[in-house]
Amino acid sequence: MTNKAARNLFIFGSLFFFVIFLGLTFDTMGKLDKRAPEITEKVNAGKMAWHKYDCIGCHTILGNGSYFAPELAKITEKKPKGYLKQFLMDPKAVNPGASMPKLGITSEEADNLLTFLDWTAQVDTNGWPPKPILASAVGAGGKESSAGQRLYQSMGCSGCHMINGIGGTTGPDLSRVGSTRDRAWLAGHFRDPQAYVPKSAMPKVEAPDADIEQLTDYMLTLK
Amino acid sequence: MSIKYQSQKIAEHFYTFAVILFLVQVIVGIIAAVQFIKPDIFILNFNTIRTLHINAMVVWLLAGMMGATYYVVPEESETEIWSMPLAKFQFWATVVATTAVVLGYIWMGLNPQANSPIMGITPLNEGREYIEAPRWADVLIVISVLTFLFVNFMTMLKTKKWTGIQGTLIGGLTFLALMYLPGMFYTKSMVKDQFWWWWVVHLWVEGAWEVIAGALLAFMLMKVVGAKREVVEKWMYIEVGFVMFTGILGTGHHYYWIGTPGYWLWVGGIFSSLEPLPLLFMVWDAFRTTRDARNVENRAGLYYTVAHAIFNFVGAGLWGVIHTLPQVNKWTHGTQITTAHGHLAFYGAYVLLVLSMIYITLPAIRGVKEFNSSRAFASFWWMTISMVFIVLTITGAGMVQTYMERLMGLDYVAVKANYNLWFWILRAIFGVGFLYGVWIFVLDFFKLGREPMPAAIPGIEKA
Repeated sequence: MTNKAARNLFIFGSLFFFVIFLGLTFDTMGKLDKRAPEITEKVNAGKMAWHKYDCIGCHTILGNGSYFAPELAKITEKKPKGYLKQFLMDPKAVNPGASMPKLGITSEEADNLLTFLDWTAQVDTNGWPPKPILASAVGAGGKESSAGQRLYQSMGCSGCHMINGIGGTTGPDLSRVGSTRDRAWLAGHFRDPQAYVPKSAMPKVEAPDADIEQLTDYMLTLK
Repeated sequence: MSIKYQSQKIAEHFYTFAVILFLVQVIVGIIAAVQFIKPDIFILNFNTIRTLHINAMVVWLLAGMMGATYYVVPEESETEIWSMPLAKFQFWATVVATTAVVLGYIWMGLNPQANSPIMGITPLNEGREYIEAPRWADVLIVISVLTFLFVNFMTMLKTKKWTGIQGTLIGGLTFLALMYLPGMFYTKSMVKDQFWWWWVVHLWVEGAWEVIAGALLAFMLMKVVGAKREVVEKWMYIEVGFVMFTGILGTGHHYYWIGTPGYWLWVGGIFSSLEPLPLLFMVWDAFRTTRDARNVENRAGLYYTVAHAIFNFVGAGLWGVIHTLPQVNKWTHGTQITTAHGHLAFYGAYVLLVLSMIYITLPAIRGVKEFNSSRAFASFWWMTISMVFIVLTITGAGMVQTYMERLMGLDYVAVKANYNLWFWILRAIFGVGFLYGVWIFVLDFFKLGREPMPAAIPGIEKA
């Protein structure tokens, strides 16, 4: 191959692939709005707050960012909004072990940020992040889970609480909660957490008495 | 060795700026590494430190490439730079703008409210990774790069010697300038935001910058071992050509999970899997060209050049391809695996590239025929061994994270704070080793050619 042929291969080959890339970009731009909910003024205000506080300087969103703090695109599906709002405004007040500093996020900004994160949670991401294999398999390995255990799963308690190493770190670890709390405390706390722990960010468990009882039974087995 | 054209000396201005920022980048990098263990340890939070870490890197590598270009273009065009005052103005404007942006980041780090939007634009930090520089700085950056391109283009136009190397170099730089533009507008959709953001980030580091690297590699091979221009340029075209053929559509590997259509899984998976091939060509090219080289005067330059080719392939190529297929990336996306790839790729592809250009051109700029290369080798080994271990520790952390968080479903914070703690501690220790290597390099940069050569040992003749 002559140098001129190699040069032409480089220039025209690059242009060829760039034109294909442009075509795909054009097609993608036409499809993106259908793959996500409508962007309201509040979603956009939340996105502005996201940029203002340089959230991406620590967190990832849709998997891109700084890998220093948790992924946030689907966070509103995992944690109660009330907790998230309090956390955003003063992280260490609701979770003393938190690494996040108090940035001065106002109540309105926190609401907007959560609306924005609600939007990102509904984006069609081709199935990302995948469901963890082990967590999905809990209860399948020949061992029937109790009614309380199933409620614990379905209510998403493990988004904040940890039992034997599985679950979130934002709320207290429950691995041994059965040996430190009694039935009355647990059941009462489920119905009104703030009555027992004044600054608690945990939402009230709105469930029939039977469910509360089953959850309490489960808690009492954790020793 | 000495320079043929006095105006080539402008390169040293850029090199000095680059070297200082390199030191800054690594010092803040160590602070960031310690913050992984103890987040509250420093007055500035992690986000500000990391912004400084990655922005210092982008600016110093760009400054290094600009310096190298100001050196290469007069030599290839066989004439002085078209306008020295304009080139100097461009240099100082870049320094002043960079300083202003850094002060803005620190101000925002101390008082986040200072970044409150003014007419819908955040004034100090755009809050977008790598392109945090605010809009006013974007405009200054564009002006600086356009001035730089203009000066070099006018220099080429003086003699109209359109050599392949300078043509490819200026082509890569023009592509770089154009690909900054997709990052300069606001979109309300986070998906579109990230889509265009990757145009800048991916098409820079896996497109324009690799083209520039290919051109500079060709130039260095000619300089160090006296390789024939026709041969070097032909392989350069083939290498940078394949970089573009695979890299442009390889952008698709960033469009798997951000809300973009499913066909990107195919496009990105196929083309990005091929991305290591041109980098492997470059390694082969570097070995083939240098294998028979005898009487190489600038051994440090040769060393860095070949190491650049190898680590470009290992860091950008191998460490990228291990997690580029959608089936794997589904589990590793957004984990420390990406961080590991980022560190080795930038070190191999661009840090070593700029350092080899410095070792090849600086002796000529300083007008010395020989220089004591012992510091160059010492810094190379300190930096390279430390970086390899930094990357191995982060890769280990990424594997643990992928397994525990993504496959088993453990909490992100639990994995980071408990199971990966030792990886962070080891990473910080190797970071100090890297800093030591950089310090030796910085000393060498300022002393090279300015101290007497050690007296030759009697009885030992040069082979």
